[in-house]
Order: sequence, then C-alpha cells, then structure tokens
Amino acid sequence: MVDALLAVFQRPNFLTFVIIFLWGFYIMVTRYNLVKKLIGMYLVQTSVIFFLVSISAKKGATLPVLLSTTEPVQAATYANPLPHVLTLTAIVVGVATLGVGLALCAAIYQEYGSLDEEEILEKLE
Amino acid sequence: MSHQLPAILFLLPLFAAISMPVVCLKHRHWSQPIAVATLAAMLLVSILNLHNVIHHGEVRYVFSGWAVPLGIEWVADGLASVILVLLSTLGLLGVVFTGPTSPKDLGGRIVHYYILILLLVSALTGVVFAGDLFNLFVFLEVAAISSYALIGVAGGRALFAAFRYLILGTLGASLYLLGVSYLYAVTGTLNMSDMVDKLPFLLSSKAVLGGLIFMFIGLAIKMALVPFHSWLPESYTYAPESISPILASLATKVALLAWLRIIYWVFNASIVINEIPILLIVAVLGTLATVIGASLALAQRDLKMMFAYGGISHIGIILIGIGQGNQTGFAGGVFYLLNDAVMQAALFFFAGVAFCRYGVRTIDDLGRVGKQAPWLTGSLIVMALGMVGLPPTGGFFGKWYIILGALEAGNYVSVAAVLLSTLLTLAYFIKMFECIFRQSSTQLEVQSGGVPFAFKLTLGVTSAAIIILGLFSGPIVQLLLDHAMPPGL
Repeated sequence: MVDALLAVFQRPNFLTFVIIFLWGFYIMVTRYNLVKKLIGMYLVQTSVIFFLVSISAKKGATLPVLLSTTEPVQAATYANPLPHVLTLTAIVVGVATLGVGLALCAAIYQEYGSLDEEEILEKLE
Repeated sequence: MSHQLPAILFLLPLFAAISMPVVCLKHRHWSQPIAVATLAAMLLVSILNLHNVIHHGEVRYVFSGWAVPLGIEWVADGLASVILVLLSTLGLLGVVFTGPTSPKDLGGRIVHYYILILLLVSALTGVVFAGDLFNLFVFLEVAAISSYALIGVAGGRALFAAFRYLILGTLGASLYLLGVSYLYAVTGTLNMSDMVDKLPFLLSSKAVLGGLIFMFIGLAIKMALVPFHSWLPESYTYAPESISPILASLATKVALLAWLRIIYWVFNASIVINEIPILLIVAVLGTLATVIGASLALAQRDLKMMFAYGGISHIGIILIGIGQGNQTGFAGGVFYLLNDAVMQAALFFFAGVAFCRYGVRTIDDLGRVGKQAPWLTGSLIVMALGMVGLPPTGGFFGKWYIILGALEAGNYVSVAAVLLSTLLTLAYFIKMFECIFRQSSTQLEVQSGGVPFAFKLTLGVTSAAIIILGLFSGPIVQLLLDHAMPPGL
C-alpha cells in the first residue's frame, strides 16, 4: 500500500492528470449550470492533452531541426515532434467543440431564459 | 489514377462544403442541387472504388508520399469500400430528402445547413478509411461537431438534446484520446498496421489493456451501446426531420466500424483480460444492449423515439455477430450493419414523411395515415418485415448468419438474445400496426398539393433496398467473406 502510494508520487504528472480529469468529470456530473458543465468538459479535455504532453516531455532535448548535415544524428538530443502536433490538433478540436457548446448555451438561454438544467427541465415538462 | 480514389472520395464532399459559401452567396437555392450532385458523384466514385478493390486488392493511400510509420495512411480494403458505398448512398438519399423537409425559417442559413451535412459525410468517410488511431479521433470529432450543430438547428427541445449529446460525446472522445495516448506511450506509433507488429510483445502490459478499455468506453458512447445510450433517443427525436435519417443510419454504425477496426485489425481479437476474452465481453454487452434497447422501444409512443431505441437494440445484434470470433458471425454482423443502416434510414424517412405531411408524431395518430396513404403503410410493412427479420428481407439473412456464427461458437445465450430481441421487435411493430388499422374517427389535415417526389423516391429506394439486400444476401455475404475479413480470422 505504502509502496503503491510512493510509486504514485514518483510520477507527479500522472497524479496531476488524474486530479484534473476527475475534477472536470465531477463538475460535469454535479453542476446544474450548463456553462459550468462546459467548463468541466473543457477540464476533462485539457487533462487528456496534459497527459499527452507530459508523457512526451524530454529533459535537455532541443527542437527537432537538423542543425548539421555532416555529424551523425543523435536522436536522444531531439524532442519528438509528433506528440506536440497531436496536442495542437486535439486543442483545436477541443476549442471547436467548446465553441459549438457555447453557441448551444446561448440558443438555450434565448429559448428558455435560463441556463439552469433543473429550470429548463421544468419548462420542458 | 485508381490508387487516388480514397482521397478523391473524401475530398469531393469536403471541397463542395468549402466552396459552397462562395458559390451560393447570391443563389442560396443552388445549395441543394450542388449537395445532391456532389454526393451522386461520390456514389459513383465509391462504386468504382469497390470494383477496383475487389479486382486489384486493397489500396493503401499515403498522404503526400510520407512512408508509413511517419506519414498518415488510409486503408481502402474490402470492408471500408463496402461501407463507403452504403455511406454515400444513404448520404445522397438524406440530402434528397432534405429538400422538402428542411426547417422553414432557415432563410440564408440553408447554405450552412448543407455545408454541415457535407462536412458530416466527409468526416464519416475519413473515419471509415483512417489507418491511424489519431486520425480516427479527429474525424470522429469533426463528424460529432457537425452533428451537434445539425441537431441544434431544429431549436426548442433539440437544443437541450444537442447539448447533452455534446457533453457526453466529448467525454467519449476524451476517453478515446486517452486510450490512444496510452497506446502511443507504450508502442511509440499511431499507425494501425505498424502497431500490429509491436503489440504482440506488449499484450501483458497494463497500459495496453487500459488503453483498450478507455478506447472501448469512448467508442461505446459514440455508438450508443446500452449503458451509454442516454444521449441518442432525445437527440434523434428532436433533430430536424431531414437530419435524423442520416445520423441514425450512419453516425453510430461508423463508430462501431471504428471499434471493429481496432479490435480485429489492431489487436487481432485474441486479447484476454484477466482470463476473459475481450470478444466475450463484446458479445455480452451486445446481448444486454439488444434486449434492453428492444424492451425500451416497446415502452415508447413517440414514433422517432421508438425507432431510435430500435436502432440501439440493433447495435447490440451487430455486436453479438462480431463478438463470436468466427467468419460466419463476422460476415453476418457486417451484413446486418448494412441492413440496419438502410432500415434506420427508411424508418426515419417514414417518420419524417408522417410528420411533415400528416402531422403525425406518436403512434396513436398513425391510424389517421392508414386510410389516406396506403403507399406509406405499404413501405412501413416492408420496414417492419426487415426490422423483425422475416424472409425475404436482408434483416432475416443478417440474423440468420449471426445465429449460425453463434451456434458455431457454441454461444447459446447470444442465440437466445437475438431471438428474444426479434420477439420484442415484433411486439412493438404489432403495437404500431394495431394503431394503424384501428378505426379512427379523427380527420386528417393533409397538406395541399401532391406528395413531393423526394418522399416517394427516398421511401421507395430504401424499402426496395431492404428487399434487394435480402434477395442478394448470398453474393453480398460471399463478397464480405472473400474481401472484408480481418487478418487471422
């Protein structure tokens, strides 16, 4: 048990990921305000992006640009560009989703005059 | 030229969607003909592509010439090509149906409406072809974002349904991405065929199992598998009449196809979690989904709601077929997927016509249609035969092969579940027909003018397709057995 806990603290990035993910999930499940739900959703998305970045971080690595063509390439000195590209794409996808979500929220507010899920459900009945 | 076909298939709707705001700036009524022409061209190209794949083997398309582990690859094998013919056919019918049923107060925004439909179709094409796990995620999300917006167009209750779909769908996408990053962390690759080479040595790793489970939960939300199905019925019920057929027939099936690719092509389906084979888990979840979905459908009175739950139960039947782990079950599952897509489209076309022309939303009002529109009732009978699974419809042969596969695997619970869901499906269609043929005194407010040609065309084609798929089930299943089987099955 203690060993498992110590192992967890060896990897603070994973711990941070789990905390942010569960925090976002908790907000999505418990809050009735639709905008707060969107904030929770964005936290979940961001936590996954954070995970992707943290597993690909490399100490002392430099830009993936070949500086010299004569010396042999030392792969260990370069950061892997692929996870960063994935991260960028995932951020773009997340922003697009958030945009559609906020647009829906605005339309819901115009339609029902409220952003509270319970009030809207009452009006739907 | 022929090896460019997958890219052309994707670029056709995408290019049309991008150029539409410019072309239709002054002439907004051009938007529907352009969409129809694009999707008709796409249908032709997809048939050409299927022909090419059958005769010359699968096409692996590499974008801008970057070799496989580094670049992005698209795989047009037998399965993807067959599904693509289905996708473009149903997309075309959906756009034809959009003409007379699109929401009236859209005005200039009708152009955006068609843009979103074309984007949805191109994104689904991307999901079908993707040979790369991250690519799959991006296309799933593009498809999902277009569908949130399209559902929301209807306004009113649809807005709230679309919002719920957005929250759940994004959670699913995040879980899928999390699973992909687990697998990437372990194998260092995202390409499916490259991952196949690296995974066999890593199957004992907990990260691989975790990644697989996260991906499964994410895709299960997208395909509305039973514990995660709560977003589907409301979104499809309140979505615009012209959008529900496209979404119901394609969106969930394509997510299922993505799961099929991952489990059979990437993991070779042999993976075992704590001594439980993953295929067994898939079959058990399918069993639950088909029985629970059909029971919930029985409890509905709203037409579209009933059809939506019917769709959920049929996702379960497809999963049962796929989960048997033998060729017969797999071919049956994929064949049933084709049938189910056609039947869902037909049912939602029916619901759309019933609402737009006769103002019918619930099955209690259906009695008013029976006398006035025998052609509508006739097509509903064909759909009911297909949904219940009576010969000579495709639904019968799909279930037949699935049951044969389950018997071959000695999985009698699955056989019982398919039969039980068939009975439940029969029950809710009997309930519907009882309402149709019961004498009804209420008068019908029929819209003036003849029945739009688009209604007759879409209902006619889908009803005929249900029968044709049944009549030609032998050759189609043989084609699937010859060209669409995963490696090692």
